[in-house]
Amino acid sequence: MKHEEPVDSMGVTFSKVTRICTLVGLLIMILFGLLYLFGLNPYMDINSVAKHWGKPAYKFWYDIKGNDVNNYSWFLSHLSKMDSLSMIGIFFLSLTPLVSVLFIIPHAKKIYKILLLILAFELIFSIIKPIIL
Amino acid sequence: MELSVVQWVVVLFVFTFVIGILAPIGGVGGGVLFVPLAAAFFPFSIDFVRGAGLIMALTSSLSSTPYLIRKGLSNLKIMIPAVVVSNITAIIGSIAGLWVTNTFPTGESYIIIALGGILLVIFVFMLASRQIEFPQIKKIDTLSQRLKLDGRWYEPSSKEIYEYATTNLPLGLLMFSLVGFVAGMFGLGAGWASVPVLNLVMGAPIKVAVATSMAIITVNTSSASWVYLAKGAILPLICIPSIMGMSIGARVGAKLAAAAKPLIIKYLVMFIMLLAAVLDIVKGIHGLHVL
Repeated sequence: MKHEEPVDSMGVTFSKVTRICTLVGLLIMILFGLLYLFGLNPYMDINSVAKHWGKPAYKFWYDIKGNDVNNYSWFLSHLSKMDSLSMIGIFFLSLTPLVSVLFIIPHAKKIYKILLLILAFELIFSIIKPIIL
Repeated sequence: MELSVVQWVVVLFVFTFVIGILAPIGGVGGGVLFVPLAAAFFPFSIDFVRGAGLIMALTSSLSSTPYLIRKGLSNLKIMIPAVVVSNITAIIGSIAGLWVTNTFPTGESYIIIALGGILLVIFVFMLASRQIEFPQIKKIDTLSQRLKLDGRWYEPSSKEIYEYATTNLPLGLLMFSLVGFVAGMFGLGAGWASVPVLNLVMGAPIKVAVATSMAIITVNTSSASWVYLAKGAILPLICIPSIMGMSIGARVGAKLAAAAKPLIIKYLVMFIMLLAAVLDIVKGIHGLHVL
């Protein structure tokens, strides 16, 4: 008989939310990423990327698009392009821990509620920092 | 010989596929092999290599954490205080790493030399480290007691339920702040550092330490990845073949692990790491034009 120790509701919720969000993020990233690799409707031309990928990020962007990049608009503003859509998958994966943390706050005991709120604040700050600073 | 874009993508896929096979058998995360080797052998800027390394660590930890939590091995009560601290230093590390390459003309060389240095530290860690299956805890500190940092899991190999507690949380948090900084700065998951902290410092059983370290990596790499995303240091052209190669390789590696001789693979991985460390340091020094 398969024996498993019961996991608390915080663990069950974290596990479930993380699994679903990861699956969605990976699907978006890989599906549109493959279409981009096959040359379908790119925002960044593959040959142009390969020509400049040896340069630091800021120089790379100056050379291929004529400006530096300091927020998420370089992919959020071009959602009809396959590479930008693939980046949405990565965006979603990066967002997953925050979503999972927010979902488990109601299930946590008081001291952990406080710690999770601090953690959620830190994660939100890391996301909005490039926009506000 | 000049390679075309398609050839580079294929080489990257095969390279990460091989890393994906070797890493789990050798007992290390894929990022710790990918970042230094790609920095040494591929034509990509270290910014894009670190960005891809972070996303690789993020996807592999996100994929395994739900299973490990359900098995009772990954402990959220230990993870939460650790990431509250290491998350802040991971963000600082990622900002510092990109600042160095973007501010100094030879910044990339400094980062590559530092990466080689970190790799030498990991090599010594692997050479000297011992793992304790069930560490003996004599006294539990007040903070760990208040947070009730304990747990239990069912071990199918012995058909027993194991109960454990952890201690030394203040010292553990201090060490996790360093782990977070290194993870953010170099685009590594840094499981090689968080597992010994959990196992040898805080007294978590080795299985719990490895599984909880995975959950810690999800949060640290997530917060560091925003800095790389906002700076445009994550390119699908590099990330997609790398993640696919690593994921497929890891599945093959997990199947081969049962038949392979782990000690030989561990020494092979250690040799590759030592080689990558030396190559990174040489490449970095060469970039400073002092040789």
